[in-house]
Amino acid sequence: MLRGKRRPPANDGLQVNNPQPQIGFSENLNETLQLLQAVYADCTDVIFHEFFIGERTKAVLIYIDGLTHIEEVDQHVLAPLQQDFPQEHTLPNIRKKIAVSSIKDVQSVDDVIAEISGGNPVLFMEGENRGLSLGLSKFEKRSIEEPTAESVLRGPREGFIETLRSNTALLRRKVRSPNLKIKSLNLGTYSGTAVAIAYIEGIAAPELVEEVMSRLRRIENDGLLASAYIEEFIEDNPASPFPQVLSTERPDVASAYLLEGHVVIIADGTPSVLIAPVTFFSLLQSPEDYYERYVVGSAIRWLRYLFFAISLLGPSLYVAVLSFHQEMIPTTLLLTVAQSREQVPFPALVEAVLMESMFEALREAGARLPKQIGSAVSIVGALVIGQAAIAAGIVSAPMVMVVAITGIASFMAPRFTVGIAIRLLRFPMMFLAGFLGFLGLILGIIVILNHLLTLRSFGVPYLSPLAPMKSRELKDVLLRVPRWMANTRPHLTGEWNPYRQAPGQRPRPPKGNNGG
Amino acid sequence: MIEKGKISASQMGKMLYLAILPTAILTTPAITFKFAKQDLWISPIWALCGLIVIFVSLRLHRMYPGLNIVQACERIVGRFPGKIIGFIFPLFYLYFNGIIVREYSEFVVGAFLIRTPLIVVSGSIVLVCAIAARGGVEIVGRFSELILPAFITLFLLIVVPIIPDLQVTNMLPIMPEGIRPSIEGAIVLQTWFSEFLTASFLLPFVADQKKSQKSVYISLLAVILTLIVSNLVTLLLLGELTGNYTYPFLTVARYINLADFFTHLESLFMAIWVLGAFVKICVFFYVTVLGAAQWMNLSDYRPIVFPLGLLLILFSMWVAPNFQELTHAIATSVTLAIITLFVIIPGLLFCIAWVKRRLWIKS
Repeated sequence: MLRGKRRPPANDGLQVNNPQPQIGFSENLNETLQLLQAVYADCTDVIFHEFFIGERTKAVLIYIDGLTHIEEVDQHVLAPLQQDFPQEHTLPNIRKKIAVSSIKDVQSVDDVIAEISGGNPVLFMEGENRGLSLGLSKFEKRSIEEPTAESVLRGPREGFIETLRSNTALLRRKVRSPNLKIKSLNLGTYSGTAVAIAYIEGIAAPELVEEVMSRLRRIENDGLLASAYIEEFIEDNPASPFPQVLSTERPDVASAYLLEGHVVIIADGTPSVLIAPVTFFSLLQSPEDYYERYVVGSAIRWLRYLFFAISLLGPSLYVAVLSFHQEMIPTTLLLTVAQSREQVPFPALVEAVLMESMFEALREAGARLPKQIGSAVSIVGALVIGQAAIAAGIVSAPMVMVVAITGIASFMAPRFTVGIAIRLLRFPMMFLAGFLGFLGLILGIIVILNHLLTLRSFGVPYLSPLAPMKSRELKDVLLRVPRWMANTRPHLTGEWNPYRQAPGQRPRPPKGNNGG
Repeated sequence: MIEKGKISASQMGKMLYLAILPTAILTTPAITFKFAKQDLWISPIWALCGLIVIFVSLRLHRMYPGLNIVQACERIVGRFPGKIIGFIFPLFYLYFNGIIVREYSEFVVGAFLIRTPLIVVSGSIVLVCAIAARGGVEIVGRFSELILPAFITLFLLIVVPIIPDLQVTNMLPIMPEGIRPSIEGAIVLQTWFSEFLTASFLLPFVADQKKSQKSVYISLLAVILTLIVSNLVTLLLLGELTGNYTYPFLTVARYINLADFFTHLESLFMAIWVLGAFVKICVFFYVTVLGAAQWMNLSDYRPIVFPLGLLLILFSMWVAPNFQELTHAIATSVTLAIITLFVIIPGLLFCIAWVKRRLWIKS
């Protein structure tokens, strides 16, 4: 076997100093304390606060500074416990004294470590082999803002943030049904990142949910710092330039996909959630399509398809026509083009590759620079791709036009990941056009189509519903049909909950003779 | 089974349509015109071979469900003769596909990329087809589904703008010497119609079998209609000149002039044609690969895709020394060979199977 299945042994990061993970605690508080202090050796942010319950029983409160709501701890835990009270000092009695809504018994070292790392303070007392975990975690988080990468004119403006719980709350606020299920698991041996998958029971196919879960469980990694990490581990075809899951920062987009039977994967620490499965055409849709009037939405969608084609083929068409099929250009236009190319030393292909790579470089530089310097790039960019370049005789004016149009077209892709894939494929297309003209262009298109046709996202063909053709679902691809016509849900995999609304909801003026 | 993919009945219909039409549009008007003169648009109606072949493949598939003609052949005439026929079919498909690749390359080199070597053109299309054929019947089916709308749109883009220039008098007189010339013109067309035998290789993969019969017949009808339209347009525009061109329909495409701005749209025609030829070569190549893998009892056909692709390029070089001999061969020996292999042998097989079944029922 060339591909052996040898794997390095799993690295147990969170349990690094723990010889027997399932071990319980002794009733002697000092032993417990020693054990935990050994685990958290050299962690200055972990606080072991020792005190006496009712001035009699020794106890210790362990928490991580900065992850715990200290005022609440003082007010509702320490204050009531430090006063003396007549009952016996057992864990159930203590529990009654603490005015905190979420309290959990924790017994194993693993649980205690997980609770403390999650920000929940844990209380131990003399004479008990268990501890109490208090749900008082609190840490700095960003407030909910409008997602800057996906802005809309109409429609909700809230976006996901880096905290998992706030994100699930945002989803729950949109889909209140108890059928919205949120399963969670922890991934990353060191990071212990909380990951949740959300789906609607009865709409999402159970086998899809199971597949997503099993692909997630397969991940064995030291730290998952962003949802993009997960994306790379669960894709169907990692070699493809096209994204096979959709990432969005918008709860409304996520909920809309939930209602169509998709699964949403939320990772703690990233504002963008992942949606799977996804088709090529859903990557070309913008939430705005659904918030505008349907006629406008459909028209904009077609505009987007057109410019999508231009962003892939624009420069290569120009190169092909100029190098091989000059007869296709009307004579007057040909004269203009020839005139402007008179001084240019390069063949069309070299010119196009030069300008396109220049454009990509400018875009990348502009995206990475701090805003203060950004304007400098745009000034220089205007010189390089602009009048100065033409005046210098390096490139021709039509080429500048083509590059500019293609640039605009590629920014029309509503998802950055698709836009960048297309921009990447533009270069091989240019070379094919330069070598074989239209023929090369068509062969290139066939190869790209072949790739898209073989691609699947969680078992769903990437180009569906166009190929394989599902005529009923074309209503959301070729058009954006009015909502009262969109009665059926798209069919992904497995069992299918076909109807999403009652038919015949087209608004009509009331029939009757109450008019003039 | 070697192939695990499934296609829908409509996908099969679209595959057959695209596998037969593109080359027919290109070369048949000139050949048909020699015999049928101004009746060349009637010739496609005499699609006798198409009907026979479709009937035979549908019936054979009904008798031996899940088996293509080569596999059914072993059941009908026994193992050894079956193996011989099973060898001839993929080999002939390879040879015939070689002719198509050569035709395609000659057309592209002759009409567009004059200074490009032939082998670059044929090699590139075979490579692309091999990549697609590796994806299996599902991918080829989806390709046809995607390409068909583009093909029809581009076809209409050529036909519709030309309407004002058509002269209806060119088709007069209709049938001055009876139907004989149009039938003579249809003989060459039988080569294309008998290619419908490919349906036999696709039928086992159709998921909705009930619709497959309808789908194949619709496909035949669509081919006939498109040929009538293209022949008619060629005739009405070019009249007596039709016979003088190698590719009359290409000349039609050259004639387009929209608002004095869109002229010389023959590159558009090439776009159509490459798309169509791609599906055609791809489907035939897939049949070759599948037949070869079945003949050798392989568990997977993917390993032999690229070796057979190399053979296909060689065949395309080897079929004829030059284009003139190629056209001559197509009009004579190839037509004969195709009709023998695609019509007569399947017909005989069907008769044997039918008689056997009758005897079996009686006993």
